[in-house]
Amino acid sequence: MSWLVAAVEWQSRAVVSRHLRVYLRNWHTAFLPPALEPVTMLVAFGVGLGGYVASLTWQGRPIEYMTYIAPGLLAYATFMTAVFQSLFAAFIRMRYQRTWEGQLTTQVELRHVVWGEVLWAGLLATMYVVIVAAVLAGFDLTGLLHMRVGRLPLLLPLVFVAGCGFAALGLCFTALMPTIDHMNLPVFLLVLPMGLLSSTYFPLEHPVLVALNAVNPLYHLAQCFRGILIGGPVLGHLGAVVGLSVLLLATLVPLNLRLLRRRVLGD
Amino acid sequence: MSALLDARGLVKHLGGRRVVDRVDLVCETRQIVGLLGPNGAGKTTTLRMLYGFLRPDDGRILVDGVELGRDLVRAKRSIGVCTQDDTFDGDFTVEQNLTVAAGYFRPRPSGLAGRVAELLERFDLAGYARQKPETLSGGYRRRLMIARALVHRPRLLFLDEPTTGLDPQARMGVWDLVDGLRAEGLGVILTTHYMDEAERLSDALTVLAHGRVVARGSAKGVLGDLVGEHVVVVAATNRDAIAVWLGAHGRGEPASVLGALHVPVSGEELAEFARAFPSLRYEVRVPTLDDLFLKLSLSP
Repeated sequence: MSWLVAAVEWQSRAVVSRHLRVYLRNWHTAFLPPALEPVTMLVAFGVGLGGYVASLTWQGRPIEYMTYIAPGLLAYATFMTAVFQSLFAAFIRMRYQRTWEGQLTTQVELRHVVWGEVLWAGLLATMYVVIVAAVLAGFDLTGLLHMRVGRLPLLLPLVFVAGCGFAALGLCFTALMPTIDHMNLPVFLLVLPMGLLSSTYFPLEHPVLVALNAVNPLYHLAQCFRGILIGGPVLGHLGAVVGLSVLLLATLVPLNLRLLRRRVLGD
Repeated sequence: MSALLDARGLVKHLGGRRVVDRVDLVCETRQIVGLLGPNGAGKTTTLRMLYGFLRPDDGRILVDGVELGRDLVRAKRSIGVCTQDDTFDGDFTVEQNLTVAAGYFRPRPSGLAGRVAELLERFDLAGYARQKPETLSGGYRRRLMIARALVHRPRLLFLDEPTTGLDPQARMGVWDLVDGLRAEGLGVILTTHYMDEAERLSDALTVLAHGRVVARGSAKGVLGDLVGEHVVVVAATNRDAIAVWLGAHGRGEPASVLGALHVPVSGEELAEFARAFPSLRYEVRVPTLDDLFLKLSLSP
């Protein structure tokens, strides 16, 4: 179980600390995407598409479309931030910058590098969601949204856990894809479909999607956020998010270690 | 006193092939051990096992008295590694590369700010401290790589082809630095393809071929054992006659370089050669490690 213990060892924290240092140094550019993305999405989907949809039914009561997508936006930001960090940024560090190889010449071992990437993606997703949440709170103040904004901080631990699970999934492709161009495969075959078909931006009731979404952590994350922020069932979705995220971590971190041992160490 | 590095019976299989086969290697304080061999001899795999990057399938590695397989983290505290390719952190400046690298060691290096300033000064990097490493020339990048490997004050330093691709002046600069590190008491394991580098820097050589140690000792001793006392250089137009003579002495094909045959011989063989080819024009020179590599690459 040394792979599991590594999650709390100082070397993993040192790797996270390195990534955080780079992020904070570029905070002005790093701050922009999470601040602008929800504005764009709310304007495009909420004001644009919402003009045609106006309202829909959630848990037997009508709610405005803008209010429906706001929690979805938070779930989508969690998913996309964690997955893209572990797909592209980790791949660049592994392949082109050779940051991993440099770290591995020190007391840091591969399991710490992997956990460092996973924990960092979870932390980054949490930081992004804080910014997105602040923007949404601003929309709420103007009356464009109607959420229980005081509950927004409750989402953060869940964002971190789910973000780590999504990062473990993303790292799998980092371990498998031969070049960065091949990342189009997971992006278009898995990430985008999953991001859009998880009831993030619109409710999907097709029986096939309903069946698939039963084991889709992003779907449960979006529904859980909706339950917390606009009222509705929470516990079932909360359990599913935590359970599925832990399952992703427990299966994919050891698998990633195995794949990356071959790829990075040549062993 | 125990050796800084004591590796015994190292074995490693990669891709179903035995690439390192029962290799022993010892390095003492104030000693530079040159690890040599042609491409594919198993140098890099051996080195990677020694600094804990790969796990040996068999054998034991002691670093400063700590068994690598039992307490990798503690053993790695005594090790500094300068890889063949640049692996500095491109997101940070030269100075930050040193401080960030120090963060990957426990106990943390004491007096870090002073240590970083000392290394910047010593490696002539102070003027570039706030620049990104990719703006440096090849020679200065190597200096940064070595400085980074030393930031935590290791006792044993691994240098994997540290001067590959550098111009002669930059190479000599690196040699001076490595020589200075030995004088300070570090043990250094050095792999190189440059024969003059191995001869000038190394106190002892270990030569690998096909994953096995084929010779060890001083450069002169290794050459005498594996190559011979002399090398006869003769025009390749005489290949047939030379091949017959070598065949009669139980030897294979001679190495051919730029239209000349290079034939390693012992003192007795040189006398016989002179008797066998009284009218042939040839040159006799002392063997170098290039001859050794040629010989190893020709042997099955």
